[in-house]
Amino acid sequence: MRRRLALIALTAFILLPLTQAVILSFTVTLPTDGRDLGSFGLMNYAYVLTTPELQSAILNSLAYVTLNVGLCLACGLPAAYALARFRFVGDRHFLLLILVFRVTPPVVLSLPIFIIFARLGLVNSPVGIALVHALFNLPVAIWILESFIRAVPRELDETAFLDGHSGTGFFFRHLIPAIAPGIGVAAFFCFVFSWIEVVFARILTVTAGKPITVAISAMFGFQTDIGAVMAMTCLSFLPALVLIVLMRNHLAKGYVLRA
Amino acid sequence: MDRWPDNRAWFLLLPALCLLALVGGLPLLAVVNYGLHDIFTLDQVHWVGLQWFEDILHSDRFWASLGRSLLFAALALGIQVPLGILVAKLLLSLGRRAVWGLVLCALPLVVPWNMIPMLWLGMIDTQTGLLGPGLAAVGFDYKFNPVHTWVLILLVDTWHWLGLVAILAYAGLASVPPAYRQAAAIDGASGWAVFRHIELPRITGALAIVLLLRCVDSLMIYTEAFTINAGGPGDATRFLTLELGEEIKGFSYGQAAARASLYFLIVLSIVWAFVIATRRDEASP
Repeated sequence: MRRRLALIALTAFILLPLTQAVILSFTVTLPTDGRDLGSFGLMNYAYVLTTPELQSAILNSLAYVTLNVGLCLACGLPAAYALARFRFVGDRHFLLLILVFRVTPPVVLSLPIFIIFARLGLVNSPVGIALVHALFNLPVAIWILESFIRAVPRELDETAFLDGHSGTGFFFRHLIPAIAPGIGVAAFFCFVFSWIEVVFARILTVTAGKPITVAISAMFGFQTDIGAVMAMTCLSFLPALVLIVLMRNHLAKGYVLRA
Repeated sequence: MDRWPDNRAWFLLLPALCLLALVGGLPLLAVVNYGLHDIFTLDQVHWVGLQWFEDILHSDRFWASLGRSLLFAALALGIQVPLGILVAKLLLSLGRRAVWGLVLCALPLVVPWNMIPMLWLGMIDTQTGLLGPGLAAVGFDYKFNPVHTWVLILLVDTWHWLGLVAILAYAGLASVPPAYRQAAAIDGASGWAVFRHIELPRITGALAIVLLLRCVDSLMIYTEAFTINAGGPGDATRFLTLELGEEIKGFSYGQAAARASLYFLIVLSIVWAFVIATRRDEASP
């Protein structure tokens, strides 16, 4: 009985703010076109999905998140392989370095990153955000992939090399299929962490290329249509929701740190 | 399993290192460099040495903010870690359905950070919120009562991060072989004794990670605190990062960079303490 009460309390605590957002997203909160305040319907979603700035915000978010996932996997796979299979001078220092970058708060580095990226012409472009998000996502990708590669017996490498496979041939034909689930898990966490990040995404999009999170903040003004804001929030929440349900058995892996 | 000794492995690290040098190393050097200059515009830059650092370390506001941030981190950890472990134990008792409890706990972790305070402000809005009218009736006023602002920020932060503690603690607890618990039950061990001597040793690794992540993140809390009350009422919730944000918005780039370097040093020393502590654990299992 006590257990059931605790479960209900936990569920209510977590779901209440989300329920509020869902209710508001279906409610008219700004009277327009003769619709009454407080009536229910899909008009907030219709408004959000037909406004050009908000449409492009969704595409911008998808663009840099996809780029970031690709970048983190491409740079993370060789590094994870090196850490899982070889002992070399400075391997622990490399792990310490990526640990420091993983936990450094974005607000600390936001100023120099803006100035440097402005000089490189990477402001307002998805490439800039994709690069910066690698700061915290690359360590996550390396840790996850390393743990999966470590679980593959070394005989796989040895027999492949004896069979005459080159390094790259082994990588693509043997290693990557063997750790496919690990790649999925790493991609999931990179996707989510990049999707929900706000500080870098905001500072690097001054006039164009705004992602969903920044577009939502921009909807606040003199007369804020909170219903539309919440509709946009619910939409921004959907991809991550689908992914956590798919990844439910691997949720702990995204927060593992190694030193 | 021993790894092959081979220094050529560094070549495999090259892509990752180049990327990190561009987005991490270079900005770090730049931030320390800017911190030693007075930057009026990007063309008018004067060397000022350590002056900004001295100014910050001699200002009462900095120490007051540091105190508030430390208090906030202590409260956040003190609430979230024990509560998270309790939630993990609760989920463990669900057996195979626990995974859906984990999904529930993970929900707040995947909400865009700037929307988390908005969800809560929507919920306690005095007119349209689900809880707003009730809270207003009992005199809850987060805008003007500092204690209420603190309670709200702590609640929002706990909502955001409780799932992280629960998920990692659950992963540790689930790795305890059932035979251990059965043996303890036969010996008549109390629930607390089982936790203290069987479960806690198993989850210390996961808890160390939680402590590090939560410690750094709560010391450097920005989005939630800024959105909820922008440091108010008065200065009651001016945390370290809010001062940094003000300086950046005020174009005081030199001072902001010096401050950012100081904060980076704080983060670095926390990571260092974490590494030393976990190594000692490994040395004496």
